Amino acid sequence: MDYSHLAVVLDLSPGQWEGCSEELGLPSFLSQLLAFLNAHIALRDENTLAVFAALPGKSTMLYSSIDPPEQPSDMDPNAYPPFRQLDRAVVASIAGELDAPSEEPVALVGAMSKALCYMNRLALGQTALAEPRMLVLSVSPDQPADYIPIMNSIFSAQKLKATIDACQIYGPHTVFLQQAAHLTGGSYLHLDRRDALLQYLIMAFLPPPSIRRILAVPTQDKIDFRAACFCHKNIIDVGFVCSVCLSIFCQPVPVCSTCRTKFPIKTLKRLNAARPLPPASSPGPAPLSRPPGSANGLKH
Amino acid sequence: MPSTQPYIYSENGDSTPTPHALLPFLQSQSQNTLTRLYQRPSSCLSIFRLLAPLERQIIMNLLWLESAIAASTMAAWVIREGKKLYEDALATLGRLNIIPQSSTKLALNGTFKSGLRQAMTGGGSSGSFGVPADKDDKRQGIDIEALDGYALERWETILHYMVSSGTGQSPTRPSQGVLFLLQRSGLMALSHSSLLQITSAGFQFLLHSPHDQLWDLLLQYLHLAEERQMDLVEVLGFIFMLSTMELGREYSTENLSGTQKAMLEDLRDYGLIWQRKPSSRRFSPTRLSTTLTSSAPPLPTARGTSSGPQEGFIILETNYRVYAYTDNPLQTAVLNLFVSLKYRFPNLVVGSITRDSVKKALMNGISADQIISYLTAHAHPQMRKNNPLLPVTVQDQIRLWELERNRLKSREGYLYTAFASQADYEFVLNYAKELDVVVWENSVKRCFFGTLEGHSNIKGFIERRTLAAGS
Repeated sequence: MDYSHLAVVLDLSPGQWEGCSEELGLPSFLSQLLAFLNAHIALRDENTLAVFAALPGKSTMLYSSIDPPEQPSDMDPNAYPPFRQLDRAVVASIAGELDAPSEEPVALVGAMSKALCYMNRLALGQTALAEPRMLVLSVSPDQPADYIPIMNSIFSAQKLKATIDACQIYGPHTVFLQQAAHLTGGSYLHLDRRDALLQYLIMAFLPPPSIRRILAVPTQDKIDFRAACFCHKNIIDVGFVCSVCLSIFCQPVPVCSTCRTKFPIKTLKRLNAARPLPPASSPGPAPLSRPPGSANGLKH
Repeated sequence: MPSTQPYIYSENGDSTPTPHALLPFLQSQSQNTLTRLYQRPSSCLSIFRLLAPLERQIIMNLLWLESAIAASTMAAWVIREGKKLYEDALATLGRLNIIPQSSTKLALNGTFKSGLRQAMTGGGSSGSFGVPADKDDKRQGIDIEALDGYALERWETILHYMVSSGTGQSPTRPSQGVLFLLQRSGLMALSHSSLLQITSAGFQFLLHSPHDQLWDLLLQYLHLAEERQMDLVEVLGFIFMLSTMELGREYSTENLSGTQKAMLEDLRDYGLIWQRKPSSRRFSPTRLSTTLTSSAPPLPTARGTSSGPQEGFIILETNYRVYAYTDNPLQTAVLNLFVSLKYRFPNLVVGSITRDSVKKALMNGISADQIISYLTAHAHPQMRKNNPLLPVTVQDQIRLWELERNRLKSREGYLYTAFASQADYEFVLNYAKELDVVVWENSVKRCFFGTLEGHSNIKGFIERRTLAAGS
């Protein structure tokens, strides 16, 4: 029982890929990715694969080995049919999606949610989906607005017993993907040498969870646990947590925007007085407890 | 034969699953043979899939590296608890000549590396994944359903022939080639009335999963091929090529070598491939061959068992009753090996496991564990809710019945009696004890029983003593 379902989420933000085509362009990225996907299928005949793309403003499924696209009638005696079919389908669907330039932010969370929904659908069909996991190949920085949907994705992944692996190919560390990998038992990798992408992918992300138990897979020595506030979607160091629904705010508020709880004026004043920054002008009540150090701590 | 889950339950408890049956055979081949085999990308891919998970991962790690990597670097990648597994994996790969053994550097065999790379990326010109046949406008190719029916019919004919041999029935005989293979592999033997009769190995074979049975037969075929002076690389290459082919497609025989064309007939008899007629220049692989390197069920649902669900059909109760939802004569015949059958309905067979029925099975060479694992593998979905799956009382009783047969142990040896005096007796006995050859002793009757191996020593010892006493 060492076969697994792998969902790969590709971040195909045109803006980001344009900016970094010197070290690793999109064509060379794709050829290395295809080799990795073929490797996953090669490991076991029963291994299944689904590829999702996050594009500006939308997300789409590029390929699924469970529900493969129509097989072309011509065959190559030198290629294993499933590999050929996979390569063609992925390349064709990426080419079809990439032509429309757009300024909208890339819908990474949308693609992740789709991948999770797809896993869930597969799990419903059979008694047990063997070791489902997800690999997110990201090039974009965090979008603070994505905080809540990402957290929800993490929770659904935990419920599906799926691990989320994340690989940040370009740019700074992403806080959210680090947390996703940490909370689901996956690994997060920030590439230093982009020309060795394939080797990174194979060594860190190819082994299914059952093998990883005996391998020294890269883990994070420090994880950025910061959260984004619900009011302005800023990533914050110190925040205020609603004592009823645990919503996070960057400043004390009189009424919780999520659960509509009203907070006493006295507490709000006290909290405002205790803020390290110059206090905001909004006076008012709040039993908004201020967790020491991090917004994730809870205190009533 | 129903399509079964490949013995998942027996694998679960095992931390180290047993290697695939073909690997020991490959390991016994010469380096030259292996290297020639690795020249075909499809063989590389198929062998790769037969390996254990860690071995596959090691190969993958090395596949895209251009230069050798220091062994210590690679070893650091495994945690301490996994060291033994890792070393075993390297040793296996070494014996397969995939990673040539070296103490300092690790690298893939160059032929294997380029073969697997080609398999992964496509390209090359070896045509090792099968040359598809041109579209035939006159005749439609065979559809998948018909292929499955054909494979099932062939395979069940073989098994049914085995199980009903010696019972007086005369089922359809498989072809001469199959009969010869069954006899050669020791699954059947000629009885005194010069009829083929199933052997105890054959009974055990019947309880294996179809996947294991298939590989068992193919291994025997490979041994036979060796003796027939067929080129093993061609034979293995063809089997591996079949395993990477696509179900429901027609392939051309034109690019096959002479050996491989000769194999077509044998493989047709086993139900691995389908051809319209023996002289046809195209062939289609069946599900039996396309699932060779996977653990997917190699056979579709048994024909006509509309009532029998695909995954299992046996219900076993704590009162030793067996209800089998099947109307398949082969399944019934296999059950009949260790169940005494009572009633038969159109879709149901009822029987019970009794001491006599299990004894009969044990006499035939079937072990208690095999009975239990057969019942587990074919348990009805309703049974899967139980934990443990099979009633413990029945499992224990079957094992106890097996132990009953082992109450007596027989050893060959010699009984030494009629010693002249107690001192004589003790002197010889002490000598025998020093040699550790005494099986049983009785000092009152002044006799003891020694093993066969110790006899010459004891005999010599006694003779020397009598000589010394006489002189």
